[in-house]
Amino acid sequence: MDFTLIGQSLVSGLGIGCVYGLIGIGFCVIYNASGIVNFAQGAFVMLGGMITHALFVRVELPYGLAILLAVLIVALIGVVLERVVVRPLWTRNAPMFVMILATLAAQIVIERLTYLAADDQPKTLPVFTDVPPIMLRGIAVNIQSLWIITGSLAIVALLALFFKTTRTGKAMRACAINREAAALQGIPVHSMLALAFALSAGLGAVAGIMLTPTQYTAYDVGVPFAISGFIAAIIGGFGRPFGAFLGGLMLGVVQATAILYFGAGLKTVIALSILLLFLFVRPSGLLGAAK
Amino acid sequence: MNSSPSTILPKAVSVPARVSPRRHLAQAAPWLAAAAVVGYALVVGGYPATVVGFALIYAIFVSGLNIFMGLTAQVSFGQSAFAAIGGYGSAILTTQYDWTWAPAMLAGLAAAVAAAFVIGYPTLRLKGHYLSMATLAIGLIAHEIAVQWESVTLGYLGISGVPPIDIAGFELSSDRATLTMLTVCVLATAFAVARIRRSRLGRAFAGLAGSEDAARALGIDVARYKLLSFLLAAGFASFSGSLFVHVVGYVSPEVFSLHMVILSFTMLYVGGIGTVVGPVIGALVVSVLPETFRALRDYQDLAYGAALILLLIFAPRGLAGLFAALDTRRKP
Repeated sequence: MDFTLIGQSLVSGLGIGCVYGLIGIGFCVIYNASGIVNFAQGAFVMLGGMITHALFVRVELPYGLAILLAVLIVALIGVVLERVVVRPLWTRNAPMFVMILATLAAQIVIERLTYLAADDQPKTLPVFTDVPPIMLRGIAVNIQSLWIITGSLAIVALLALFFKTTRTGKAMRACAINREAAALQGIPVHSMLALAFALSAGLGAVAGIMLTPTQYTAYDVGVPFAISGFIAAIIGGFGRPFGAFLGGLMLGVVQATAILYFGAGLKTVIALSILLLFLFVRPSGLLGAAK
Repeated sequence: MNSSPSTILPKAVSVPARVSPRRHLAQAAPWLAAAAVVGYALVVGGYPATVVGFALIYAIFVSGLNIFMGLTAQVSFGQSAFAAIGGYGSAILTTQYDWTWAPAMLAGLAAAVAAAFVIGYPTLRLKGHYLSMATLAIGLIAHEIAVQWESVTLGYLGISGVPPIDIAGFELSSDRATLTMLTVCVLATAFAVARIRRSRLGRAFAGLAGSEDAARALGIDVARYKLLSFLLAAGFASFSGSLFVHVVGYVSPEVFSLHMVILSFTMLYVGGIGTVVGPVIGALVVSVLPETFRALRDYQDLAYGAALILLLIFAPRGLAGLFAALDTRRKP
């Protein structure tokens, strides 16, 4: 096996791994705030790319503005999802399985609405900066991959700052540790749930937007991304946002290397097999599950 | 946290004791409604018969799902995998190896149950969202294999030319003959589920649906009965998959996609989870209703998803629960 080929797939694996990591963080943020696993997480990734495309190509907004607006719109959709689907079930004390099924159904509904509003054609976005790839000892480093990696690291750093220093961030962490106790301290647990959905939707949208220039997006790309994000969260120990990011990087690299040997057709099967392996052998993840 | 009775339903489904005569009518009503729909399709034939035929195939699949989820209160998003094994087993053995339908169907069934055993053993130890995601992964892997293993499954192209089922030299290729055969299959399935529900096995299922710890304390081998329930569900799924390919004459990976999973859950919740008649009613209602609004075809998946969310929020016990509620309201 050629060294440059392995290096090449390592770079692309790290890029896609960052995206998986961001989605995984999205799972953890909602799970920590509420104990809910949101199976509609992939819809946010898809919507990020699709809405940016609509704003940029159809409305012809400047690229940067389109991206910013798309992230805000998707965060808003996250809040709507929380209000319309999750909140009514939460207040009715719905069993966990019902919550999972409802969010999965919401995923289908969002998918179909997107299909009706747009169409079933794959869409792509221009790269953020149109510069030829950098050559490093024969390895071509795609500039968009660099954008993804630095962008994701910046987001993770900002998140860490948010959770460590701000009042709201601390309140969200308190909810994760013990919801009842947090409520007794006067933390508005319900608004924290809405905020968690907004944050998680925004993260998903950013991941989707950064990734779209290197691949494509379409109304039905959500579910595989949601599963990859979930796998990242499992590898990192469910409920640990930064574990999820590391898990995403690992998944991305393993998947990219496995594609070298087995071919791109089995990409999903490889990811799912890693998931099953972890679930059967070490369901608490590499770092151990939160709590 | 999730071995509790609340995994599926807020209240565990109890096996009813002997019914009073007054309740017989309320219990028969959904069956009569189902019989009316099937009877209408039998008389009219043609397109309505095709729609109802599909509904009956789904009724068998959902009945299997109901054993695992309704009676045993477990979760599986991956039953489509076993329908795929049965369906592809029948299609491949009859078209490529010239088997007749019965041994092919049995071979598919055996393969599905064997797969369920191998998969179920490690998977069923999981709980909550781990179990949900693991079973979802299994369904998706099966779909992906059907797409990628082109030398056997022909990928997206699918396998066509699967012969219809024949009984004693008489080919069941007409609408009415097919529908009659499917009706018999659904009745047999419902009878089997009803028997299972009232048997020692069904009581064990209900026991571990109520509380795994309590069931264990009573000497019920929880892991064994969970696996048994999973195998039964896989068996019915495989059976419905085989019926599908023989009735349609064609199979492709799209048949066993996530769409199938959501559709079957909608049916289960519309009809009423944990009841014998629920899956049949649910399958008929969910299949027939969209046909009456033809213009809404593009919106079908949307409608299924939205209906499922509304049901989960406002009527988690489905139509069968509605019948039961009417019945208790009438009581003094």
